[in-house]
Amino acid sequence: MSLGTKRLGKELAKISKSLPPGITLVKADDLQEWLLDIQVLDQNPIYAGETYRLKFRFGKQYPIEPPEVVFTKQENRPIPMHPHIYSNGIICLDLLGSSGWSPVQNVESVCMSIQSMLTGNTKNHRPEGDADFVSTNKARPKDIEFYYHDNEV
Amino acid sequence: MARDTVKAGVLKADGNKRFQNGDFVGAESLYSKAIIADDTNPSLYTNRAMARLKLSLWDSVIADCQSCLKLNGESMKAHYYLAQAYLELRAFDDAVTHASRAREICALTNDKSLAQVTTLVLRCKRDRWEDAEKKRKRAHKELEEDVLRTMRREKADSLAALDDSTATDGDRRQVAEEWDAKMEQLGRVFEAARSDEDKRREVPEWAIDDITFAFMVDPVITVSGQSYERASIMEHLRRQPTDPLTREPLRPSDLRPNLALRKACEEFLDQNGWAVDW
Repeated sequence: MSLGTKRLGKELAKISKSLPPGITLVKADDLQEWLLDIQVLDQNPIYAGETYRLKFRFGKQYPIEPPEVVFTKQENRPIPMHPHIYSNGIICLDLLGSSGWSPVQNVESVCMSIQSMLTGNTKNHRPEGDADFVSTNKARPKDIEFYYHDNEV
Repeated sequence: MARDTVKAGVLKADGNKRFQNGDFVGAESLYSKAIIADDTNPSLYTNRAMARLKLSLWDSVIADCQSCLKLNGESMKAHYYLAQAYLELRAFDDAVTHASRAREICALTNDKSLAQVTTLVLRCKRDRWEDAEKKRKRAHKELEEDVLRTMRREKADSLAALDDSTATDGDRRQVAEEWDAKMEQLGRVFEAARSDEDKRREVPEWAIDDITFAFMVDPVITVSGQSYERASIMEHLRRQPTDPLTREPLRPSDLRPNLALRKACEEFLDQNGWAVDW
């Protein structure tokens, strides 16, 4: 049994019962990949009326290693516009990188961080170099060296 | 005393290869030959114990571990395998003792198996509690049946006494009903005691490690005041030397055992072995 099995089982039991407003569990058939929907609850015009889908993938070392978290696009589930979210769904958030992650974080707290990252945003555009990044990136999200210099967003 | 270390080393290496390929019988026999060549090397005994564990030869595992401990009393593996064999033989106190000793040695020597051995300690404690619970429940059930049997006899005796007297059918019915009501009442009292046990099953937050969400065995406290299971915080610090809550630098030498919390966890677990599987 890997380190994360017990912990993910307990996280699932908890979030199956209750989640904060605007966060819904969509699918968690196993302990490898979960889908959750998030909505921005205040009236931020960039995100009003939309629902976005997050895909979590857990490695054997979770929660010592971070989960891989991306937005995934499908009908009625666009990729939210944000200067830290690429159009292929990859999220640039220090919390999800190998050095910003902490094992006391969990699926619920990650969802809440992403939700508040959207809530506070006023810039209706993609990161600089989005087209280039999306067409050339082959690395796993957590291995990408993002620059976290843009702290005002 | 035999001591051909070269020959023993070759046999041991061959045994390891067999073990890795899943040939535990072959490995066991090569380790035996290695011990004949050199009976002073403690690791040959633990290697054979490991093969014998796979073969479910519990008594032989115990013998090998004891031979190893005579040569090296601080062998983590000997204590670890001993605990597993004792657990299989349902010798729960011995299993807990040796698993705990193995865990202490891991903590002292910064052994990478700490998490795995901590899990074994919890398993031993859970199984010991389950065994005691089963016995207690059986005793409880037997007590209920004994008392009921006595009451049924009393009822029959009372009714028989009425037969010799001038009692009416109404008197007889009344005596029978009184006894039936008493027996029903008794059943309810026992039932209430049983459901009470299930109601109390809630694990206190303070006993849970925030990293693995498992019950803590050896909590250590960080500079920021938060306690974690030693195995999980060590695993995190190997990857990143920061406090998980504050992200301030944190080294293994900054950790202190949280003795009061450890004692509280131990006491809770002794009474509530189910908490291991919570």
